[in-house]
Amino acid sequence: MAANKGMQQALVRVKRYLPEEQQKTQSEPFWQEFTVPFDESTSVLDALNFIKEELDPSLSFRWSCRMAICGSCGFMLNGIPKLGCKEFLRNYSVRTSPAQKNTATNTSITASLTVEPLAHFTVERDLIVNMDEFLIHLEAVKPYLIAETSTQKQLQPSLQTPAQLAKYKQFANCINCGLCYSACPQFCLNPEFLGPAAIALAQRYNLDSRDTGKAVRMPMLNSHNGVWSCTFVGFCSDVCPKQVDPAAAVNQGKVESAKSMLIQMFKGSTAHEL
Amino acid sequence: MSYKPTLTRTWWLKHRFFMLYMLREGTVLPLVFLLCSLSAGAFALQSVEQFASWQRFMANPWVVAIHTVALIAALYHAFTFFKLFPRVMPIRVGTKLVPPAIMVVGQWLAVVAVITVFLWLFVFSGAAHGIVAGPGGGV
Ligand code: SF4
Ligand code: FES
Repeated sequence: MAANKGMQQALVRVKRYLPEEQQKTQSEPFWQEFTVPFDESTSVLDALNFIKEELDPSLSFRWSCRMAICGSCGFMLNGIPKLGCKEFLRNYSVRTSPAQKNTATNTSITASLTVEPLAHFTVERDLIVNMDEFLIHLEAVKPYLIAETSTQKQLQPSLQTPAQLAKYKQFANCINCGLCYSACPQFCLNPEFLGPAAIALAQRYNLDSRDTGKAVRMPMLNSHNGVWSCTFVGFCSDVCPKQVDPAAAVNQGKVESAKSMLIQMFKGSTAHEL
Repeated sequence: MSYKPTLTRTWWLKHRFFMLYMLREGTVLPLVFLLCSLSAGAFALQSVEQFASWQRFMANPWVVAIHTVALIAALYHAFTFFKLFPRVMPIRVGTKLVPPAIMVVGQWLAVVAVITVFLWLFVFSGAAHGIVAGPGGGV
């Protein structure tokens, strides 16, 4: 993207962290400001790519699809977790004050935003966070169909009606971007908390008519680090770019968990069955 | 090498969403006060003097003010709860979801129904018996 005439200017403040330089200076993460040209169609990801290509090649960040489907470009934009490719600089317009005048080009800044790495994760470099914790939680809930194993059954087609599909479809739309974890103060306080996306994924399979793995997943959801760590802040659902509504999944999980615990109490058994 | 920012004490002041969440959670404070006042009332039933002093306590403008706040807090909490309810207990008819708005309205109608029953029990039927809190026809 070249700076064309007629383009507006945005001030982009990026939280940088360069561990290899740190050893020399022992400094902390620091803010760096860039002036980026933009028009109606410039996404935040475009702006970061402009910075990397034209202004500072040392800037590191993740991205791939540019169309809000791979889930790799999550950043904190003005402190809110968002996908860089789904957000546009035009939505960050500011009224120009004399201080923001770019003296070099004599153009005014008409948009401004801060870009930080996703909150509540360990930052490896610049805007790159370590997603291991998140991925471990996703894996922990056994996010796959656990179905009857008899060969006889396996050879049959697994039929599902539209009504059965509707039950879990919304929770199947997750793109594993992790924005909901950055929106969740409980995950920050307790990184062992399974968290919104993992519980939504567990719900997705628990609600699937072809799945029989609920009994295996419930002990995890019932545990302290399962659904009961959630206090229904609900911001996770607000920031979710795919309207998965993970907060709904977690709280539906609470209802299921309460049911399964009650049943256990009456049965007096330790098996987590439903 | 890496770093991990921690949650600051003022995290909830950073976004309107978090402030509203804290407000919702904070509604418990005036409600705890109400609960204590009511429990004190139950204990005060032991003697006429105690009950009279409890009544004086309940008439104190400060106490009335806190109880008014508790009423508003309870209504606000109900408002947030009713809004969340359709997401936690979605009702499906076939592939269609019952519209959340209908469920929210239904819950408020239930509140109105309960208030009406209690008003009838304690105020109108009580007044008919010439007492403040009457048995109300044994519903
Ligand atoms: S639930 Fe939404 S915010 Fe969370 S990881 Fe999935 S798509 Fe991202
Ligand atoms: S680059 Fe794939 S979601 Fe943004």
